[in-house]
Amino acid sequence: MTDVLMAILVAGFTSGALYALATVGLSLVWGSMGMLNMAHAAMLTLGGYVAFTVITSLGLPIAIGFAGAILVGAAAGAILYFAIVRNLLKNDKSTFEANVMIATVGIGIALENAILLTYGGQPLKQPVSITGAFRLGPLTLPWQNLLIIAVVVVMMVVVSLALGRTRMGRAIRATAQNRDAAQLMGVAVNRVYLQVLMLSGALAGICGVMVSSMTQLSPPLGNDPMLKAFIMCVVAGLGNLPGAVAAALGLALLESFVQYALGARWGFPSLLFVVIAVLIWRPSGLFGRAEIRRM
Amino acid sequence: MTSAAAKPPVLQLDAIVSGYDGLEVLKGISLTVRAGEFVTVVGPNGHGKSTLLKTISGLVPLRGGQISIDGQRLSGKPHETAMLGVAHVPQGDMLFAQMSVLENLLMGAYLAPDKAEIKRRLDEVYTLLPKLADRRDQVASSLSGGERRMAGIGRGLMMGGRILLIDEPSLGLAPLIIDQVYGVIAELSKAGRTILLVEENPARVEDLADRLHLLDDGAIVWSGKPAELMARDELLATYLGG
Repeated sequence: MTDVLMAILVAGFTSGALYALATVGLSLVWGSMGMLNMAHAAMLTLGGYVAFTVITSLGLPIAIGFAGAILVGAAAGAILYFAIVRNLLKNDKSTFEANVMIATVGIGIALENAILLTYGGQPLKQPVSITGAFRLGPLTLPWQNLLIIAVVVVMMVVVSLALGRTRMGRAIRATAQNRDAAQLMGVAVNRVYLQVLMLSGALAGICGVMVSSMTQLSPPLGNDPMLKAFIMCVVAGLGNLPGAVAAALGLALLESFVQYALGARWGFPSLLFVVIAVLIWRPSGLFGRAEIRRM
Repeated sequence: MTSAAAKPPVLQLDAIVSGYDGLEVLKGISLTVRAGEFVTVVGPNGHGKSTLLKTISGLVPLRGGQISIDGQRLSGKPHETAMLGVAHVPQGDMLFAQMSVLENLLMGAYLAPDKAEIKRRLDEVYTLLPKLADRRDQVASSLSGGERRMAGIGRGLMMGGRILLIDEPSLGLAPLIIDQVYGVIAELSKAGRTILLVEENPARVEDLADRLHLLDDGAIVWSGKPAELMARDELLATYLGG
């Protein structure tokens, strides 16, 4: 029984770590810009393919593959800002949320199809994987899962320090809490939006590498994590970063337990049940404020 | 007042026009604030006092006329206006509610050139407003109304600007707290800070302001010394309801 429980916990924490990484990127953009980035899934997929190309096609070390995914993800965020967001911000602010959602749906579809045209539809194996397991008495912890949890913890610490301890992070949080006041302090909010999209893109990139290392690379790779990340954002309260991490871990553990107890097909419906319940009883999310400041 | 008149203007407004969507709120306002001066704009609610300060700091777009700081024309972008030394303490404080008092103050010093300057400004603010030092780790949303107002002024001072724009500091506060807030503003004025303050009640600034402008329906209808306005019962009755 202990073995089973440990297996569920390891699977749950691994999924939770991956969901948390996807959720934080999505939540960061929503919290600071009021923007639901529907291209986040495609950016995640892009990161996976970039690492694959760097490691397999160019023959470079895995660390360079990670760096490539982060850099290309950040660059994709910057392109999204300059090509779409900056222009939409010049229009009526009241229509921004709807317009940017529609625009990023289009960008996501275009990017996914560009990946399909470039790499084909056949699943590919992501070379970022470690075989074997760490054994501690009766416990077996696969190295791959431990790697994912370690990478995600490092990324969370980096993001947390960046937001909490740096001038840039303070400006991002200030802009999220009160855009006008931030501007009065001298914060160039458009630059903050660029930084947020680049940071979110970088997180999506590395998340894509990690997700594909557990499954396989394919053009719709990012859709499932994006959908679950969105559920976790809603459960936590859109824009709430610590809440997003807590919700990601909690829901991933729930999903693992339900999959074990009731069968794999009930995992996703259990998440939907939770999100529906939260939307009925606490529409602002478990950790959300009743009112979220938007553009 | 005499010595201030000889000083160069810090802020100059020339026939500025601004408003929201189809509504024109400010209808050609001109005024000057010189270095070290304390200038007040008084007027009834809804006649453009807050819009005036928001237009200067760039939160409300300028539709006509021009605004200059130290002779340099403003771009209309709030962050660039802040860079030129305009420190706006807005109505309702607009603190960063989820940040601590210290983080709010540090946001005020966002454009400060180095850590030494930030520390100097922080020491200055804590000396003037010691309660903020006691509350430094407290989240802004948990402060009382008076403490929030002090934190807003402290954050404005942390900007180290050329001019402090203060929007109705007495709004929503108990009389005792209003006296404390104005006590701090009086100290800032004595220390030589250049201040443009908007207020509904002229009696609050009677002993403080060097000059006073009366605003009605987006236009300045009278200018002079506060004591002169307080002696004009017909003006008080007409524009401020007595």
